[in-house]
Amino acid sequence: MIKIIDIKKTYFTGRLAVEALRGISFHIRPGEFTAVMGPSGSGKSTLMNLLGLLDRPTAGSYVLDGKETAGMNERELAKERNLKIGFVFQTFNLLSRLTAQKNVELPLIYAGVSPGERRKRAALALERVGLSDRTHHYPNELSGGQNQRVAIARALVNRPAVILADEPTGALDTRTGEEIMAIFQELHREGATIVLVTHEADIARHAERILRFRDGLLVSDERVANPIDARVVLEETRGGGETS
Amino acid sequence: MNFWESIGLAVESIKANKMRSFLTTLGIVIGITAVILVMAIGQGGQAMLIKEMEKFGTNLFVVYVNYQEGGYTRPGDLTEVDINVIKELVPEVKYLSPVRYDRMNLRGSRGEEMAQVIGTNGEYALVRNFDTRWGNYFSQADYLMGRRVVVLDEELAKDLFGHGNPVGQRVMINGTAATVVGVLKKEESVFGFNASKNAYIPYSVTKSITRWDMVHQFEGSARSKEEVDQAMERIKTILERRHNAPNHYVTYSMEAEMESANKITGIMTLVVSCIAGISLFVGGIGVMNIMLVSVTERTREIGIRMALGACRRDILVQFLIEAVSICVFGGIMGIILGYGGASVVAYFAKWPSLVSLKTILVAFLFSAGVGVFFGMYPANKASKLDPIEALRRE
Repeated sequence: MIKIIDIKKTYFTGRLAVEALRGISFHIRPGEFTAVMGPSGSGKSTLMNLLGLLDRPTAGSYVLDGKETAGMNERELAKERNLKIGFVFQTFNLLSRLTAQKNVELPLIYAGVSPGERRKRAALALERVGLSDRTHHYPNELSGGQNQRVAIARALVNRPAVILADEPTGALDTRTGEEIMAIFQELHREGATIVLVTHEADIARHAERILRFRDGLLVSDERVANPIDARVVLEETRGGGETS
Repeated sequence: MNFWESIGLAVESIKANKMRSFLTTLGIVIGITAVILVMAIGQGGQAMLIKEMEKFGTNLFVVYVNYQEGGYTRPGDLTEVDINVIKELVPEVKYLSPVRYDRMNLRGSRGEEMAQVIGTNGEYALVRNFDTRWGNYFSQADYLMGRRVVVLDEELAKDLFGHGNPVGQRVMINGTAATVVGVLKKEESVFGFNASKNAYIPYSVTKSITRWDMVHQFEGSARSKEEVDQAMERIKTILERRHNAPNHYVTYSMEAEMESANKITGIMTLVVSCIAGISLFVGGIGVMNIMLVSVTERTREIGIRMALGACRRDILVQFLIEAVSICVFGGIMGIILGYGGASVVAYFAKWPSLVSLKTILVAFLFSAGVGVFFGMYPANKASKLDPIEALRRE
């Protein structure tokens, strides 16, 4: 699904050249749930931006869903972002002026889907994250966990090749975070390819594979022997935290 | 994203900032209102002026002695014989009258008054398009025979005889008795009522009352508007030859007067249009300013949209349509206000309301143009944002 070959990214600030990524290669197979870990400054954010096609590498090759992305122009990149990638951010990044339903419809608008079809697919996506009863609420009328679920619905709605989640539990309490992880695991079981960036080991262990970064290099690539099952955690801690 | 959805999006974000959008568009509203109002008043006033002048007859012309360049009037400058010669030699002339102004004492059955007495001939009513209220204007025969008859303006008749028809009554003009044969209808005009108080008598009678033969000017009308200039030119030549006085005569026509009136209203319209243009320009800068603020405020939104698949052109179009929508909204308000204002002015000034479809269309397109012109820079700025930076912004 994702093929990264010797990717480098150098930022030039004045005379200083900062090497954020110094030659990284890895593959992610379809349906894999991968966590990317590393301290701040390790280059994981840079990697996220590159994977999300928000930025271009200085060198190297990035093949997404069988297509080489180097050499694509701005419009092609926008189209790839729209159709192949679903973003989930730490701070949700919903548009506060729009209802949950309309927020989820956004990627479909840019994909040129007709209004009727859009409504149907957005409603379906919201149903999948358990928010059928909140479609006409605005972000400020929803809890943090609910907002993140709207964001996940928005990431799903265009049936992307990969879901990129950047610290999706960072702004949530532990239990709500666990609920969000349960949704990701559910999606994973249904066959979605997920890349999760986090600095929390507990969260990373929900994935089946962990990539560790340090100083712009990939330092380890390991399988998680026994991934945490969020459903089990939620069962054990029932009664505490946010209920929704 | 298609065009209609972009418009829906723009309308939604304008609605989200109602007060701000309204204040922003106020400059456009005022500009467009001013343009429409000025156009309507200019055109309405011009139409009225032309109508007013046409009452005198567009074929009207006047010939008199050139006082400015050292000339002065003396007996023999213009004579009644000239009239016969001119009518004989200049086929373009339809009617021609001698005119002499005197202030004389007039006394009727109810009152006495100093008034302007115009000594002329029977064709004068045709030259000036007079309408009578009672009786008739005196005839050419009255003029030729020197009959002691008089025609009064309605206001003067009222002063001398009170209300009612004075035809057949006697007026003493500087001690000479004359019979009233007609009263001219009072004319309504934009400049209020035409309250002239003149008396008209045959020039032959003027001569016998004053014992003084001097014609002040000729007033006449040409057969058509196009022949006015030709007629005046020929008359001038004939008079100069007959009296051996080159450059002694001046001509003046309603046609030339109307042209200069048109020129003046044209200049006025241009000046005020410039002012309106400036106010639209200032309004446009206001729109640009608020759009720049909007781009800064919504940097994060722009980042989100880009992450979700909006290309730079989508963002550009979104903000451009928003700017154009604000301006077009202001334009429509301006058109409504301008139309309303023009109608009120037209109602009170009693002239036709002249807001043409063309004016409305131009105003509409102009406001949209202002939106495109002043929205381009902010929209371009929005579309050039780096999505990573934009997403990081609070």
